[in-house]
Amino acid sequence: MRAALAVVTLLAAALCGLLVVLARDPKRQVFALLANGLVLSALFEVLQAPDVALSEIVVGAAVTPLLFLVALAAIALDRRERPTNGGQPR
Amino acid sequence: MSPRWRLLLLTLALLALAPGLWRVARAMPPFGSPTSLYGPAINQLAPAARHVSNMVAAVNFDFRGFDTLGEETMLLCAVTGAVVLLRGSRGEGGRDRAGRLPGRTVAPRADATVLVCRLSAALVLLFGVYVVLHGTVTPGGGFQGGVIAASSFLLLYLGEGYDVWRRLMRGPLLQLLEAGGALAFVVAAAVPLIRAHPALTNLLPLGQFRSLYSGGLVLVVNDAVGLSVTGSFGMLLLEFLEETRSSASDPVPDEEDT
Repeated sequence: MRAALAVVTLLAAALCGLLVVLARDPKRQVFALLANGLVLSALFEVLQAPDVALSEIVVGAAVTPLLFLVALAAIALDRRERPTNGGQPR
Repeated sequence: MSPRWRLLLLTLALLALAPGLWRVARAMPPFGSPTSLYGPAINQLAPAARHVSNMVAAVNFDFRGFDTLGEETMLLCAVTGAVVLLRGSRGEGGRDRAGRLPGRTVAPRADATVLVCRLSAALVLLFGVYVVLHGTVTPGGGFQGGVIAASSFLLLYLGEGYDVWRRLMRGPLLQLLEAGGALAFVVAAAVPLIRAHPALTNLLPLGQFRSLYSGGLVLVVNDAVGLSVTGSFGMLLLEFLEETRSSASDPVPDEEDT
């Protein structure tokens, strides 16, 4: 039972990781990363490492995506403040 | 190089590597079987030697506590670096208004969201403190409990909006937690030196196995790390979320602040 669960979560982790790479829009990428964090914490729980799962669920699925979202927001605000650049990547 | 050539090269490389990969895969120990003697040795030693039932805490905060001191300092330095970088470009003063992109509407918060966030923020904070305090007994410990406690700040932000959140989150208090926790760790490491023992020697009474107050110095260091991690992550959230604010010199947006 545990082995089957481990196989399922491992496959899900691989799938989520692939999604993170394949998503081209940064915002979608952040949410794929969030899903990846959730799946990874489930995997750690299945592999009997509940303490690692606890830190992964907070760091991987909450704090890191939030920091990325904030960074994206800050970039968008910065581009608004400099209309000379017209939103073009520098 | 065209994609077709690249694919061909990949196939050739995979074919060349396949026999080796197969042999390595066949020679690997079965899934989940321990390969190192360290784990079983710790499992046998720690309950008797340190009265600790969470072996990870015993290894992190006692047997290899000196490494953790380095890691704790690393976190402190990383957060300090982030704060210095962000404040360097933004300045020390707080900002009054939410940054707003033109043409982007902001949906007002539903009452249900506020209620759920308030309740769960309190519960998550309580759970974080619980995980820190039970670090020597159950899985978890200083770092895990600290990040859980800090994630309750996030829920608070989600429910209350920036302005209330910013008034609740005291930067100096978080800095005090962060630095005070790290200092407590250093003091815990240094005090045995005065009595001519190696650093982090566990001289405190070990307490009863599986009780809340077990592990002696392990519990002290664990709680110090919990304080420091809560402060560090709180500071990180505070500084990063401050980046989404507009400076006072910007044109005033039409919508009200939420």
